[in-house]
Amino acid sequence: MYRADPGSFRDPASHIVFADDRVIRLLDERGLAGWKALAATDFFAKATADGRLIASKQIEPPPDADAAAALEHPLLPFVSYPYEWTFSMLRDAALLQLDLLAESLAAGLTMKDATPYNIQFVEGRPVFIDIGSFEPYSPGEPWIGYRQFTRQFLFPLMMRAYAGVPFQPWLRGNPEGPSAGDMRNLLGFWQRMRPSTLLHVSLQARMEARMSGTAVRGELKTAGFNADLILANVRKLRKLVEGLDWGGSAAGWIEYESCQHVGRDRETKTRFLESALADLGATRVLDLGANDCHFAERAAAQGVTAVAVDGDEPVLDAVYQKGTSVSIVLSDLTNPSPSQGWAERERPGLAGRARPDLVVAYGLIHHLIYTASIPPSAVLDWLADFECPVLVEFVAPDDEMVAKLTANKVEAELHPGRDQSEFESALRKQFTVASTETLGEGSRTLYRLLPVTAAQGATGRE
Amino acid sequence: MLFGYLDAGSGSLILQAILGGAAGILVAFKAWKARLMGKRALTEAGTEAEAVVEEPAVPTDS
Repeated sequence: MYRADPGSFRDPASHIVFADDRVIRLLDERGLAGWKALAATDFFAKATADGRLIASKQIEPPPDADAAAALEHPLLPFVSYPYEWTFSMLRDAALLQLDLLAESLAAGLTMKDATPYNIQFVEGRPVFIDIGSFEPYSPGEPWIGYRQFTRQFLFPLMMRAYAGVPFQPWLRGNPEGPSAGDMRNLLGFWQRMRPSTLLHVSLQARMEARMSGTAVRGELKTAGFNADLILANVRKLRKLVEGLDWGGSAAGWIEYESCQHVGRDRETKTRFLESALADLGATRVLDLGANDCHFAERAAAQGVTAVAVDGDEPVLDAVYQKGTSVSIVLSDLTNPSPSQGWAERERPGLAGRARPDLVVAYGLIHHLIYTASIPPSAVLDWLADFECPVLVEFVAPDDEMVAKLTANKVEAELHPGRDQSEFESALRKQFTVASTETLGEGSRTLYRLLPVTAAQGATGRE
Repeated sequence: MLFGYLDAGSGSLILQAILGGAAGILVAFKAWKARLMGKRALTEAGTEAEAVVEEPAVPTDS
């Protein structure tokens, strides 16, 4: 028995199903023809060997599946979406898309789409996962994915690089990406005068408006369109994408590293985490408010899957650029990615994808309580919803960081329950305390919390 | 001819030829011209058809 992947249904020739933890791609006759053509090329062997294409092996289709053929792929440790990526991640994904298209054309193939949803990050590197995207190139055909490439890769990158507007909220609101018309409206006069925006943005917007719904593929073929024209376009696009820079610096990173408490507490927090990993046998760690991903990386070094979530793009981008083995997620934890897309199931929300067996919330909850005005009891409810052990750092009201966060707030504007005794009393409704450790001068405490039901089952405590 | 599940956008398809460089601009011009000629032929055919329709199929004299 298998279950369909709710995010894989748009291409009738190829879609993903799951059989327990096995990932199976079902192909129809057209998908099978594409797979046979791809598998016969040196390009496929090379791109799979160097990790740019996901590994694939042909298997017998499940007996109850209506499919001409089936492939099996490795299970990805974590799935993230472009609205959770940093600028450099989307740019690297765009370059991978262009490189694979150029190489597949040289091998007599083409790619039927060009969307970042076909790319995932594994061990900090982009990997193309949609093997069904390749099919034999028919002479005279244009690149069907060009418009999609501009909307989902190029325009979001231009939006940030040229207009200083973050692309993530846009892609989260509209996964199809900005249209050429939207993009033109976002750009100022001088930005519209760049050769790249004149062509890809303004001219495309104008031609799309004038020619909507007109059949032109036959005319292009008759007029002599060929793969060399696609390759010339792809080469120029590559140069353009490579040159896009968002001006994001690691200033935030440097500022964070220089905080007094960071250096002071880092080793203690690391030991507390490593001890929990060893005792609990955790395999999937979700680091909430991961900052420079130090703790997530230390967890990954122990061989577990680590997902690091933070809302600071410059810091996460710097982590990505230096190379990391953790799955990076750019997300505001007071408004994490929801379930969305078709039937609200196509793109599951962040918590549903993470499925952790250990949550780390170091240096986080005081920001939620004092900056985002989330009541302390609601923060604990949220942590309990993960239904797994939690390592949380409590920061007392007299901590110097809390003083900074509340500099412009009066007592009446703050939620009750912020004292350590009140916090401990509240957490015992849903957790037992397995261990604690006091940090620095005593205003910060680490707690290893076990969910009440799990703790009762495992240890019989409380 | 491939049949994609993706709407490639007519204007974006023609634009691709232009983006391919000098040779592509020629291709785009030829495709545009062919489309224009096809449109004209269609228009002419449509005018002739209209002319035929203008002849009443059934006498309407009372």
